Amino acid sequence: MGFDFFMWVTLVIWAGLFLYLFRVEAKVSQLEKRQ
Amino acid sequence: MRPWKWLLLPWLSLVIVGVFRYAREAQGFIPGAARIMFFHIPQAMLCTVGFLMSMIFAWRYLLKPNAVDDIKSATAAELGLLCCILTTISGSLFAKVQWQSYWNWDPRETTIVILMLIYAAYFALRASVEDPDRRARLAATYSLFAFVTVPFLVFVIPRIPALNSFHPKAVLWSSDGMSRDYKIVLYSAFLGFGGIFAWLFNLAVRVRVMEQAHEFEQLPASSGSVVKVRG
Repeated sequence: MGFDFFMWVTLVIWAGLFLYLFRVEAKVSQLEKRQ
Repeated sequence: MRPWKWLLLPWLSLVIVGVFRYAREAQGFIPGAARIMFFHIPQAMLCTVGFLMSMIFAWRYLLKPNAVDDIKSATAAELGLLCCILTTISGSLFAKVQWQSYWNWDPRETTIVILMLIYAAYFALRASVEDPDRRARLAATYSLFAFVTVPFLVFVIPRIPALNSFHPKAVLWSSDGMSRDYKIVLYSAFLGFGGIFAWLFNLAVRVRVMEQAHEFEQLPASSGSVVKVRG
């Protein structure tokens, strides 16, 4: 396994984390508006 | 969503590409092993930042009791502990590659375990007190005293020459310790990881403030004020 493999794994983990944070951010903003 | 949150996506993606493609091999390390420092050092710094923030909000709470400061102090301590755990895991992976053992009871490893135990006790204390005001007051006092140990455990004890630590010496602060490519990637990683830390902190505080406002609404004669936190 070369560096490229670890680079892509790290990029996929980061993209997943960003998507998760994005969804939580949207949900929290929605709840704040409702309050 | 604020623009700086959007900016984090390309920024950290570029940092990750920089870690694997731009930074060259470091001398004196097993090939590739030194690259973990681009994750390990920002996590270690953010661990200290989290505990420092927890202490500052605890101090503010003790000066003028305010539920939001208590929430911020607990959230900062949580994120500090999370970074502490991630630092330990990444350091342990480096130790396995470089020294063929996950754990050596090196002074760095020993002090970080002590630090984790100190902050684990902070959450045990919070969980053991039911009255919110008493819990906030005790936790704030504990946070102040807990932070007194941080400079010793992070900066002083591991650097005592007699303890003979394996940990790579202050590469970050010495003028000839790092090449230009390493400095560019590392400082960019600081900004990127700092951004994730700030985002997580912001989200957690907003959720907890909403939870508290919801609890106030449940009370028959609520007189508490709800504080808005900017997203």
